[in-house]
Amino acid sequence: MEKTRRLSRFLDPKLLAALSSMEIRARTVVEGMVEGLHKSPFKGFNVEFSEYRQYVPGDPLKDIDWKVYARTDKFYIKEHEEETNLSGYLVMDTSGSMSYKGQGSMSKIDYASTLAASLAYLMLKQQDSVGLVTFANGLRKMIRPRTGMAHLKAVCNELEATAASETTNIGASLDLVGQSMKKRGIFILFSDLMDNAEVIIQKLRQLRTRRHEIVLFHVLDRDEISFPFDDTTIFHDLEDESEIVTDAFQLRSEYLQRVRQLMNTFKSALRKSGIDYLIADTSMPLEANLRSFFSRRQAVSAR
Amino acid sequence: MTFASPWFLLGLLGIAVPIYLHLYYRKTPVRKDFPSLRLIKLSVEFVARRRKMRNLLLMALRIITIILVVMALSKPFIGQSASARNSSDTPAAIVVLLDNSMSMGCTHQGISVFNTARGRALEILDQMQPGDRATVGLINDPGRLIFPQLTWDKDTLKKSISNVPLSMAGTSMASSILPGLKLLAPLKAYRRAIYVITDMTESSWQPFIDKYDLAKVEPGIDLIMVPVGGSAPDNMAITGLETEAPIIMTGRQIPVKITIANHSPRIRRSRVSVSINGERKIEEEIEVEANSVKDARIMATFAKTGMNHVSAAIQSDAMPFDDQRHLAVRVFEPCRVLLIKPDSMPGQPENREDTFVRFALNPLNRSKDNNFAVETRSTAEAKTAELKNFAAVCLINQRHLDAELIKRLSEYLMGGGNLITFMGNRVEPDWYNKHLIDDLGGSYLLPARIYKRVGNAVSRAVGYQMTDLDAGHPAFSIFARDGAGDPGRAQIFEFFQVRPNPTALLLARMSHGLPGIVEEKRGRGRSMLITFSADTSWTNWPVRPTWLPFLHQSLIAMITANELAIGTIRPGMPVSATITGEDARELMLKMPDNNRSKISVQTSAQGLVHLNTRDTEQTGYYEILTEGGNRVLSAFAVNPPAEESRLERINLRRIPRFIPLTHEAGRGQSVKEKVSLLRDGYDVSGAAMLALLLLAVIESWFANLPSARRVE
Repeated sequence: MEKTRRLSRFLDPKLLAALSSMEIRARTVVEGMVEGLHKSPFKGFNVEFSEYRQYVPGDPLKDIDWKVYARTDKFYIKEHEEETNLSGYLVMDTSGSMSYKGQGSMSKIDYASTLAASLAYLMLKQQDSVGLVTFANGLRKMIRPRTGMAHLKAVCNELEATAASETTNIGASLDLVGQSMKKRGIFILFSDLMDNAEVIIQKLRQLRTRRHEIVLFHVLDRDEISFPFDDTTIFHDLEDESEIVTDAFQLRSEYLQRVRQLMNTFKSALRKSGIDYLIADTSMPLEANLRSFFSRRQAVSAR
Repeated sequence: MTFASPWFLLGLLGIAVPIYLHLYYRKTPVRKDFPSLRLIKLSVEFVARRRKMRNLLLMALRIITIILVVMALSKPFIGQSASARNSSDTPAAIVVLLDNSMSMGCTHQGISVFNTARGRALEILDQMQPGDRATVGLINDPGRLIFPQLTWDKDTLKKSISNVPLSMAGTSMASSILPGLKLLAPLKAYRRAIYVITDMTESSWQPFIDKYDLAKVEPGIDLIMVPVGGSAPDNMAITGLETEAPIIMTGRQIPVKITIANHSPRIRRSRVSVSINGERKIEEEIEVEANSVKDARIMATFAKTGMNHVSAAIQSDAMPFDDQRHLAVRVFEPCRVLLIKPDSMPGQPENREDTFVRFALNPLNRSKDNNFAVETRSTAEAKTAELKNFAAVCLINQRHLDAELIKRLSEYLMGGGNLITFMGNRVEPDWYNKHLIDDLGGSYLLPARIYKRVGNAVSRAVGYQMTDLDAGHPAFSIFARDGAGDPGRAQIFEFFQVRPNPTALLLARMSHGLPGIVEEKRGRGRSMLITFSADTSWTNWPVRPTWLPFLHQSLIAMITANELAIGTIRPGMPVSATITGEDARELMLKMPDNNRSKISVQTSAQGLVHLNTRDTEQTGYYEILTEGGNRVLSAFAVNPPAEESRLERINLRRIPRFIPLTHEAGRGQSVKEKVSLLRDGYDVSGAAMLALLLLAVIESWFANLPSARRVE
């Protein structure tokens, strides 16, 4: 444990000990290299034909079945079943807004990084491969998925090295992430979603269409959820440095209504698309968030 | 608006506080990092407009709150009158005008309207404060201010109002309102008001507002209307009473015309009775359409010569004073007229130049039941005639008259006799001018000097016609109507050129402009000169149909000229008359209530007595008696003006500038309270306090509206 603690400030030994009995379980059929653990008919190329599916933007052009195109004038991708172990992509929003630290002990990015490191540790521990993608206005860093605990250091180092800055462009970043992912797997996205909600939902749906499993941690500080301000306040935007002077007391009701509306929008829209949407309240213990994640995954897996 | 404590108004400067807070005061904002302003900006856009409106409303509420606090402390008074806009310490100058015209004499709900009005006046005067000045006036015809100057003596003013009697006169708004305005005009340091307490009859107000532009009355003077009497009661009135005969002779039936007006919206019946000298003679049922006038004619016979009292009455109603009307008529014995014709020449047939005059005055040659009893005498016979027994004497184509007869004619004329002189071929102008004018001095007989003869009656080459007939004179007024004949169509072939005396009236000219008929008042009598003959020798007029009415009208006009203009006297109008000087030193006036008063008289050099009296307030029959009261010299009747019987009320909105002060017994505020409110305005400090309380609650509620919930 001490070895692990030294590995990264985002790996809390107590937290990891509490989670040690848990496993990352895909909801339905997930790819994985360790047989028996992940029974998943992955649709690839080097095994038996599985099915045709319609082309979606982001699919490699080389996968298009041109014969079918010649017959039907439509783009189809020919998929094959393939036995594989789980590839996990930890997608971390590192925009300026993630640097916010309210009255809790951690900033939003620290909280999200701790979540990500913990999940990476668990996934690597069960022989799954884990990759890391950081983005803000665009992709900042991508670490391809690999197996083995030695890869955990690379992930943790990158998490620690990344500072929150720049504005957010989630849509463009997800596009790039989707294109660079060769294998389907599980996307675990950590973001405060400070971008156009419609675009975010649309891009996530596109990823989901390509059979990626998607889990979204909506990282929010307690201040963002409860807006505990009373006075006339100059609010300073951590992303674009803009400022606005307003009477927070008068604004509160309207703001909270909009926050609730936004969360409900994500919740309903993403769950319809089979995307797990979880609120990561930074004032809540990390363990609670991870437990709720796992319990949810287990419940879905049992179905 | 006035303020009892105006210094509190300085508190209005406090309005600056919320304005300052609104415009300049901002809490020092706290700087705070926030992940993203995305949602905050969206919320701010939505909230900003509402917040701006809310802040403005809050500022307005706070300003109004401060104003209300200041107003409440300043004890404001508001009112529609100019008085209420002055300081409450300013003394008042008021004129109280009480309508005591006849229309106020009716009753409303069993109470005399006039008594109600008098009560209102007393209540208004009761509201006089120390330092206030007032006067009272009467609205009748002619109205007046009882006290020409304003006085502080409230008791005297109230006493004078208590003693004011109801007048039987009409209404003249201008005669009291205008002096009131004139009295108040210079008193700019006072709160000025004229209170008019009236029944608001349209007949009295409409002429006033038509003639005077009340909108131009000085704005600083309040005109306050105090209406009394409620809505107009139905009223039926006798508005006219007259005889339709030009001259009334004893024993002859003459028509008496009674005009009855129905001022109500429905047909009404009434029994009309006519009394002569207090004795009821005739009764008749009459029906009058709604809002119309009807004439009734009743035949009456007079037995007594001299002045007679005729009265007509209908059944009494809400307005009793116009249900009776009076008329004074003089009844004559048949008028004796003396025609003095030229003596007949020896051996010649009897002179018949009087024929056309005699037959004109008595066409049927009746000895009884004729207006005129005509006697003809020759010049010689006339010497012995008792002239005073004749109503008129006609001199027809006389050459010379005996000096004694001339003297007696002069005395007769000056004493009230009437003389008509016809010209002819015997007339010598020089003798006439000398003996009938020059030698008599001031008692001359002829109204014009006589010169030469014009025209030729023998050849009849030129026929002159009369023009410029004086249609206003009774002798010719009868011909003014269409179809009544035209004396101008008669031809005069020869006449005397005359020059009328300065005081003579020219009744007709010849077609080339020379005088044709001249009349002059001489003493109490009248003298008429006709410049042509009385027979057909110089003119064909005696055979024309207009000859007879001309002579009748001329004689009646001369005989009745000294009578008073009966039927035209209104209550309060002065009466002037000239009567015989038998008992000249002092005369008595017997009034309708049988009281008697002395009449001041003036005796002229000719022995004529001019009397003048203003004791005509009562309606009814008045007699002018000799000093001892034994003999009736003359009489007249005083009647209310017909327009006073029209009781329709004018709409108050049609009277500009007047502020109504209405009061209904037992309801709402008393008259005193209303007068006080008009004078001082309404004390709105209580209302301001109430509004303040309400506003404070609203402000408190509004300021704490849960636009956002505070963090628990």
